[in-house]
Amino acid sequence: MDVRGAPPDAEVVALVLAGDTEAFGIVIRRYEAGLLRFATRMLGSRDAAADAVAESFVRAYRHLASCREPARLRTWLYRIVTNRCKSHLVRRSVADVPLDDAPPVADPADTEADLERADQLLLVERALAELSPDKREAFVLKHVEGLSYEEMATVTGERIPTLKMRVHRAREALLKVLEDHA
Amino acid sequence: MSVIDQRIHQALDGELAAEVVPAELRHAVAQLAAAAELLAAPPPGPAASLESRVMAEIRRPAPSRARRVMRWLVTPHAIILRVRPAWSVVFAAVVATLTLFTAGDQGPELGEHEGIAQFVGRFPEAQSVHVVGTFNDWRPGSIALEDQDHDGVWRATVVLPAGTYEYMFVVDGERWVPDHLAERLVADDFGRENSIVIVRPARR
Repeated sequence: MDVRGAPPDAEVVALVLAGDTEAFGIVIRRYEAGLLRFATRMLGSRDAAADAVAESFVRAYRHLASCREPARLRTWLYRIVTNRCKSHLVRRSVADVPLDDAPPVADPADTEADLERADQLLLVERALAELSPDKREAFVLKHVEGLSYEEMATVTGERIPTLKMRVHRAREALLKVLEDHA
Repeated sequence: MSVIDQRIHQALDGELAAEVVPAELRHAVAQLAAAAELLAAPPPGPAASLESRVMAEIRRPAPSRARRVMRWLVTPHAIILRVRPAWSVVFAAVVATLTLFTAGDQGPELGEHEGIAQFVGRFPEAQSVHVVGTFNDWRPGSIALEDQDHDGVWRATVVLPAGTYEYMFVVDGERWVPDHLAERLVADDFGRENSIVIVRPARR
C-alpha cells in the first residue's frame, strides 16, 4: 500500500495509542525499507537485519506511549534499531560479521557496468565491515540514511563532536581501501 | 590525527560548496559519495516486507490466565526477604546455627549461581515504591520496597541469579526514576536512563 498520502507520524501514533492496532502497519510500511537497509549495513546480513528490525517494530509498538515526540518517530525508531543491532553485535564477534547470507550470483543479462558496480559494492561492504561498530554506525547514519548530526546525536546518545570524529575516521578508512584498489 | 584533507570532510558535511573544493580533492569527495550511494541502493531481489510478521506478533492475543499461571510456575522468580527488627535476632541466630552446625558445604539459602541484590532509595513523599528491571521483565508491582521506620528510605533485598541487570524505581505506581546511587547508569532504547546492578554469586 502506498503510504505517501497517509497521515503524518504524530497522527498515526495517536491512532495506535487510541487502540487502532492496524494503523501501526503505516509505520512499518513507511520506515521498514530505511531501517532494514541501515540494519543490513550494520550487521552485514539481511536475515539478521530482518530479525533486528522486526523485533524493533514490536518493541516500538509495545512502548509507543513512551515516544515523547511522535513527530520525530523516525529518529526514535532508528534509536531502537541501533540498540538492537548493538545487542546483536555484542553477541557475536565483529570479525565474524558475514558480508551477506547469499552473495549475489552473476546474471548472464548483467552488463559489464553491472558487474563492475557489484565488485565495487563488495569492496565497499568489506571496508565497512572492517570498521568498528561505532564508526560503521556513524558513517551509515550520516551518508546512507542521510541523518543530520543532530538527529544522529538523538539516535545514538553521543555528542556531536564525537559523531563527527567517528564519521571522519570512517571516511578515512574507506578512502584508503578505495584508493588501494583503484 | 586526520589523514585526509579537512576540506574533503567539509565538502561531504555540506560546509564547503562543491565548486570551492580544489580540483585535486574532488576525486576523493566523489569516491566517498559514490561509496555511500552504492550502500544506499536497495539490494537486488524482491524485498520481503516485515509487515505481516510484525503485525501477527502485535495482534497475537495475550496468553490465557491458566497459561500465564503455568509460565509463572516454571519461571525462576525473585524472592523478597523482609525481616522485622523484632525477629531479626532470632532469624540471625537460626541462620548462624544452620551455617555453623549443618554438615559439609551445603549452602543455606542461595543457589550456586545466585546472589543478593539490595535496592535502596530515598523517597520521603512516596506512598509506594517498587523496583522493576530486566530481572522481572519490567513488571511494575512485583517487587515492593518497604519503609519500615518511616524515614523516607525504602529498601528491598532480593535474591537473584548472578548477572548484570538494568532497573528503575516506580514511585507511587506511576513515576519511573533511575537509582542515581547505582553502580552505573545506561541509556535505554527510549531516551531514559536505567540503573545497573551487578549481582555476584554468593558462593564461589
